[in-house]
Amino acid sequence: MLKPKQMSRVLFVGHKDVLEPTIGVLHDLHVVHLEEYTGEEYFSIGKPLAGVEQDSKRLLKLRSIASFLGIKKPYIKPTSAEKVSSELEEKLDELEFAVSEKLKKKSEIEAKIKDAETNIHEIKVFSGIPVNFDLCSGYETLQVFAGTIKKGAEIEAGLSRITTDYQLYVGDTGTIVLFVLAKHADVVAELLNESLFNEVKIPAMSGVPDELLNELETQRDMFVKDLDSLSSEIDSVKTQYEEFILASEELLSIETQKKEAPLFFATSEHAFAIDGWVPDDEFETLKSRVEEATDNRVHVTRSDRATVGADEGDKADDANVPIEYDNPKIVKPMEAVMNLYARPRYHEIDPTALVFIAFPLFYGLILGDIGYALILLAISFYGRSKLHGEGWNSLFTVLIYCNIVTLFFGILYGEFLGFPLAGPLAGHVGHQGLIPGWHTILLFQGIGGELVTYPIHRTHIITTLLVLTLVIGVVHINIGFIAGFVNVLKKHGMKAAILEKGGWMVLQLGAFMLLFGAVGVIPSILPGAVIFALAVIMLIAGEGGTAIIEIPSILSNILSYSRLLAVGLSSIGIATAINTMSGMICPEEIGIFTVFAAIIFILGHALNTALSIIAPGLHALRLQYVEFFTKFYEGGGRIYDPFGYNRIYTEE
Amino acid sequence: MTIPVDIAQTTVEQLAANQAGLIAIGAGLAVGLAGLGSGLAEKDIGSAAVGAFTEKEELFGKGLIMTVIPETIVIFGFVIAIMLLM
Repeated sequence: MLKPKQMSRVLFVGHKDVLEPTIGVLHDLHVVHLEEYTGEEYFSIGKPLAGVEQDSKRLLKLRSIASFLGIKKPYIKPTSAEKVSSELEEKLDELEFAVSEKLKKKSEIEAKIKDAETNIHEIKVFSGIPVNFDLCSGYETLQVFAGTIKKGAEIEAGLSRITTDYQLYVGDTGTIVLFVLAKHADVVAELLNESLFNEVKIPAMSGVPDELLNELETQRDMFVKDLDSLSSEIDSVKTQYEEFILASEELLSIETQKKEAPLFFATSEHAFAIDGWVPDDEFETLKSRVEEATDNRVHVTRSDRATVGADEGDKADDANVPIEYDNPKIVKPMEAVMNLYARPRYHEIDPTALVFIAFPLFYGLILGDIGYALILLAISFYGRSKLHGEGWNSLFTVLIYCNIVTLFFGILYGEFLGFPLAGPLAGHVGHQGLIPGWHTILLFQGIGGELVTYPIHRTHIITTLLVLTLVIGVVHINIGFIAGFVNVLKKHGMKAAILEKGGWMVLQLGAFMLLFGAVGVIPSILPGAVIFALAVIMLIAGEGGTAIIEIPSILSNILSYSRLLAVGLSSIGIATAINTMSGMICPEEIGIFTVFAAIIFILGHALNTALSIIAPGLHALRLQYVEFFTKFYEGGGRIYDPFGYNRIYTEE
Repeated sequence: MTIPVDIAQTTVEQLAANQAGLIAIGAGLAVGLAGLGSGLAEKDIGSAAVGAFTEKEELFGKGLIMTVIPETIVIFGFVIAIMLLM
């Protein structure tokens, strides 16, 4: 906790004969983060083990089949790796045979359906015209016009003025087919153009449009039926082979991963060297397992820079060490929140545990409503059981933490979906609470004559709460400065830590003394001014002149915590507005307006529930990222990605 | 001589009402204008941040921070409004 896992640099050197078993052990243990060898001096980059090409080809084939069959990744029971590997070749051929034929057939049928549909589309414009397409072309003395004209255009009158020798057909869609003598063609064309004639190509088919259309549609329906039956065949192949495909894909991925591993290694003619990182507590197991598997023919050492510790020489390597979080299980989900910002660096404090406390606390402080807490708890528990995957799991777990705290503050505030649960303080007027008989009790007097009560009515003690949020801000920010102090102390020593981080803390002290002096709590502003000036000198010595520009930022940082109150008030505001609106609509007796009131109530609170994730979440997050982390956190560590594979579908 | 007394009374009430109204307007302006200020600042940063983290997802956290920095402006406005209404 508060520190990433301690890592050691580890080096394996051995003869190439034992390369394969070494890789096997490293892969099984899944703890070594490999460092790629890039140099080209004496050693060269290793070559993949034999058989990798065949495996890659098979993997490619499998993946294309899997994508054709549309195999998703369900959670199924793992099968034995040995069994899969023994029948892999045979079954893969069988599967390929079954699938490739169907694939071909499927694309054929799809092409036919497409053809039929294009033809149908072409013919459809001519529907209702009783002329065979054969008869529409190939004349010497006749000109055929086929196409569309402006809606409602009367061309027959015009035609009869030109000639009586014509034949006109008008189709259902308004398409015309007009036969005239070739000698009249030009005049007729002019006439048609006045009616916005638009030529349509006559399909190169034989038959009367309506009959052709019928025929083609039956054909198409037949093809579609064929496709359906083929799809169900494909589905049956899918269900039959699904398990095999998933398992063998995994197996082959592991095989290729192992065989391609030498690409990371340095090799000479007869020897290999593997460079990597391993968590300190895994080193002994790793060493003994590798030596056991290779009859002590591989030499395992922690390199000189082993346990990259606190000594000065390693600072440059800070960014190089892969980072694995080292947090208790309950804090783990918060790592997602950290990763969103940046992973810690090796010598830095890992603030995950601090965020684990502060983030849900701020969220709960802002939201603080029993109703929303219960709804969101139900949603997150349901979501966590339905949606798998690490990201979802973390998200919902964080939401659960947040809403447990929200529930606590909800009870403290006595709020349920914006309604007060308790009645007003004795002797005061106010809304009746939802729970009859629960009355507000006076606890003590807050700032500016405000009455602090149980349950706390947030809207009535704004000044007191405002001051409280600022106090929370001061505490939170100073925890950040203390963490920063530790970080700088480790990196640059005591003097730098006191000047850089201590200066800011002294500055705050000075500012408060000044403030107390000004309002008369202490007799003079002089001590405050002296301390303040001292702090400014410390900061200039520690951080340089730019520190002066940053001095006001600490004030804005502290004031920023007033959002803990502000965002909460806006959430109450929305909830109260919804409640008032539906209350105004709802009539005494049950009627149609009762339904409207219910709809407003449900939709409104659904909206506010969604806002209740976003607004408090984002603001609580921002207080961590902007106000807290900027005091000490650098981030930017490498992800610890050990060589190995998380088996899902196979087991050894 | 009854009429002037009436006028005097209404004027005092009006004065009180005017004061309350002006305070409310002031508070509204404090939050509203500060909100506009935040919005103006955030719109540019926000679009740049979205652009940045579509290219490189690790920048989400940094982008979010940059985007929400001007939000403090509206919080200041809110604090002023509360102080006015107290």
